[in-house]
Amino acid sequence: MNREAAVSKLKDIVKPYIKDQEAFENLTESTDFINDLKINSANLVDIVLDVEEVFGIEIDNVSMEKMTNVNAALEIIDTKLSEK
Amino acid sequence: MIGNDVVDLALARKESNWKRNGFLQKIFTNKEQFQIENAQDPEQKVWELWSRKEAAYKIWNRENMIRLFNPLQFECLTEASGLEKVSFENQFFFTKTIVSQESIQTIAVCQKSYFDNIIHHPNRSGIVKENGIPFLNNKSVSISNHGRFESIVSIL
Repeated sequence: MNREAAVSKLKDIVKPYIKDQEAFENLTESTDFINDLKINSANLVDIVLDVEEVFGIEIDNVSMEKMTNVNAALEIIDTKLSEK
Repeated sequence: MIGNDVVDLALARKESNWKRNGFLQKIFTNKEQFQIENAQDPEQKVWELWSRKEAAYKIWNRENMIRLFNPLQFECLTEASGLEKVSFENQFFFTKTIVSQESIQTIAVCQKSYFDNIIHHPNRSGIVKENGIPFLNNKSVSISNHGRFESIVSIL
């Protein structure tokens, strides 16, 4: 999957949880889920579960601990997809 | 160091579905899941344990200036004396949680004695942020805000 398609899928996943619409519209790879998008930390779990479902991957705990921004999420998705 | 976390239970109910497949397993250890399953009010237990993990994480995050999302590694423990703790790697944080019908609030400290010297601040007046960390008169302050509730605390 190319990066653009992955970003687009990821945007659809995070959309229901964001609390800062402007930061969401200007989302880049350095966008932070909590600091920028103001996502509630408990909803990060939902994002991890949604990413697992949508991309058909399993995110282990070591990978999950880094998943605090768009770039890290994309890296993890990429790595897990290549392991499939 | 001090960390706090407040949960507005009505908002938590709206924002999160803790019964979702896989949700508890990503956050809670087997022992914690057992506590939730056997609690009189499982939902309350979920947010009680969660707020303890969050409050402890906030201290760890400030001490290390590292962001991590690994709630499983922050394990809630209770000593025989009733003293509540959260362990992370080889570190312990002490926690006190107040549960009400509407909200759950935890304060975590790195030394038990700090519990005797906690100040609650009614508002953010005088609080300035340095590198994202709030300070009041050069003392670090922990602010937690969720839905209808805000809690601002520091150590004397």
